[in-house]
Amino acid sequence: MIQVQDLVKSYGSFRAVDGVSLDVAPGQIHGFLGPNGAGKTTAIRMIAGLLKPDAGRITINGHDLAKNPVEAKRGLGFIPDRPFIYEKLTAGEFLRFHAGLYGIDGDGLGERVAEMLGLFELGRWEGELVESFSHGMKQRLVMCAAFLHRPRAVLVDEPMVGLDPRGARLIKQVFKEMSRKGVAILMSTHTLEVAQEMCDRISIILRGKIIARGTVDELVALAGGADEQLTPVFLKLTGGTGLQEIEDVV
Amino acid sequence: MSSEAAPAQAFPYLLRPVFWAARNRARRRDPGDRARAALFGTIGIAVAVAIFAIVFWLTWQLLDYEELGDYLIRLGLSWLFLTFLSFLAFSGIVTALSTFFLSEDMRLLMAAPIAARRLFYSRFARTVGQSSWMVVAFLVPALLAVGMARCAGAGYYATIAFVLVPFVIIPVALGCAVTLLLVNIFPARRARDILMIMGLMFAAALVLLLRFLRPERLLNVQTLPDVTAFFATLQSPVMPLLPSFWAGETLFAGLQGGLDRFHFSALWTTALASAVLLRVAFGRFYFTGWTKAQEARKARFTRLEFLERLAHRLPLRTEAASLLVKDTKVFLRDTTQWSQLLLLVALTLVYVYNFSVLDLERIPYLSRTLKNLYAFVNLAMAGFVLSAVAVRFIFPAVSAEGGAFWVVRTSPVSMKAFLWSKFWTGLVPLVVLAECLTVGSNHFLGVAPFLNVVTATAVFFMTFALVGMAAGMGARYPRFNAESMTQVAGSYGGIAFMVAAVLFTLVEIVLVSWPSSVYLWYDYRRAPLPSRLWLPMVLAFGAAIATSLVVFWTSMKQGVQALEEMG
Repeated sequence: MIQVQDLVKSYGSFRAVDGVSLDVAPGQIHGFLGPNGAGKTTAIRMIAGLLKPDAGRITINGHDLAKNPVEAKRGLGFIPDRPFIYEKLTAGEFLRFHAGLYGIDGDGLGERVAEMLGLFELGRWEGELVESFSHGMKQRLVMCAAFLHRPRAVLVDEPMVGLDPRGARLIKQVFKEMSRKGVAILMSTHTLEVAQEMCDRISIILRGKIIARGTVDELVALAGGADEQLTPVFLKLTGGTGLQEIEDVV
Repeated sequence: MSSEAAPAQAFPYLLRPVFWAARNRARRRDPGDRARAALFGTIGIAVAVAIFAIVFWLTWQLLDYEELGDYLIRLGLSWLFLTFLSFLAFSGIVTALSTFFLSEDMRLLMAAPIAARRLFYSRFARTVGQSSWMVVAFLVPALLAVGMARCAGAGYYATIAFVLVPFVIIPVALGCAVTLLLVNIFPARRARDILMIMGLMFAAALVLLLRFLRPERLLNVQTLPDVTAFFATLQSPVMPLLPSFWAGETLFAGLQGGLDRFHFSALWTTALASAVLLRVAFGRFYFTGWTKAQEARKARFTRLEFLERLAHRLPLRTEAASLLVKDTKVFLRDTTQWSQLLLLVALTLVYVYNFSVLDLERIPYLSRTLKNLYAFVNLAMAGFVLSAVAVRFIFPAVSAEGGAFWVVRTSPVSMKAFLWSKFWTGLVPLVVLAECLTVGSNHFLGVAPFLNVVTATAVFFMTFALVGMAAGMGARYPRFNAESMTQVAGSYGGIAFMVAAVLFTLVEIVLVSWPSSVYLWYDYRRAPLPSRLWLPMVLAFGAAIATSLVVFWTSMKQGVQALEEMG
């Protein structure tokens, strides 16, 4: 599970994340929504241990990330928004390297790597260098790595970027299955349809602060709209549609 | 605002981003940019002044020989241009690969409504500029020195400008044509790798060849060839059909106050014809080559499976073994990285070979003292060589993780384990190199056994300190977005490391040389070492070891701390 309390991060005088608190229970998919520059990626990167918070506390599977980072990260999987990977390794080598970082070694590793590559439809690319992969293939390889060590909590930053419809459907199924097995998933996304379809709870962040939280139904009620879709609710909560301006400019 | 009515901008418009980017870089300085600019600026000016002074002195000396002097200057100018002709052609090949085929902005430009001719001329101008600035920076002080030593008129200085422009255009155009051909045969990235290896092998072969010719024999008058044979050798490569000859002849005429219209015209007509013919060739074959350059290649590479087997047999934790395998594979598969080892091996061979041919026996009374003195010079040289290798290969080790560093940072591997893995990966090959350099060259020198032990021990601890310092400072000053590892080595942190490494080496030499020289002094006289000297000598040796350990330990500690606080 993932617990975040009063997380703060500033860049100079700009406060990117301002007192964010979250609680993602085992088996829950928690959506993290917000407009560009709202602070989603900064918050996710702090929870992943990539950024040092100015204040606040992050706990992953009961381990404090600041006090015991190694144990906290052992049960965590992370999928970044941009899939930078070592270009000079093959897909198989990258996954074996990743497994090694989590202390996984031995006879079963080859099978596990093949299993993950098969799941994400990269089986025939196992022996190819990552530098010849497309963006979507790299994204799927990163997901293989994130799930390889059977994490109990997963952080996902914009999971659908660069994926084709088949890949997107596959990812949704994988996340649902992981959630069913008790994995806590925190997912930041711009794709409201994905959030609406997959998330048990949603937090909306604006200018570094959580401005609304709840199930889709609760958010619709909070926005006071009759529409059951998340898009108008999101636009209303985060500051209008901007459609009039578009008409003037275009 | 209508795009139909707007006339197309001339091709220099497409060069604006280059100038704007340079201007923005100059405005937005990173920490230490000013110090780096001052350091490199001073080095650049010093090199230019040195070239000017040497060429001025040589030309001045030749004034005494009238016709022979004129002949040698004429020959010298042709030689000078000939030397740079092949360099410019090779540089043109490599630069054209990036400017025409691999540059990121080409996708934007290819998708924009830009006439192929404009695009070609803008890229060609950029290629000429990028591949020739270094040659021009070298030639200008040399040619100015010739003019000033011979009191040439203003016409000579104008001729320099009018000769250099067509002189650089011709070989670079040839280089671009070769690139066009290569890219139509191989994928662009594969062609770059092939060229990189060829270039470095050529450089390594040149270093070895020049050294094994034993130029020191020229100092021995008995082995000098007769004058006729000497001039015959000098004249043989001056070919009148090459642009280098035309440039030399035109400048020589300018030096005497005239204008060699024939060779001047030959230069310009050939340069313009090369540019036009190249444009026609690019019009015909460029798009096919560029398309091939975009295709994802099925890369051929070595699997290096033995590395995994070897790493798992070592007494290492799984995490450390994984990092070791990854780092080694990435290093060996990156042509730009490992190919530089060829040059390093060549330089090391030359370094050790130098000691094997040193003829110290010619001065028998001093030979023993000189040999032992050389052992310390050798230790200092080994320190500097290690620093240079460390700044190129170990300092950038953390930065080499690049955008993929998140993989390690989000994994349950502490930054301490990560940096120590980088340290050990760098330490082992550097200890081997350091010991080969010192023990090998001491063997050829025939230094005293005591000194052999002292220098071998000293360089062992020095390597620990230098590798620790490089890894630690590389972690404190990382450049994850650098385009190449050479760029990381030349960054503020890299220069700071070099300064610190040189200072450290000097301190070590002082601490080790004093007790060693005292010991050798008494040993030479076959006198017992006074007991009052034992303690200060042991303290000096101890201080040398302690300094190495403190430098190594604090650097690593600070590096780990910097990585942990990153964010």
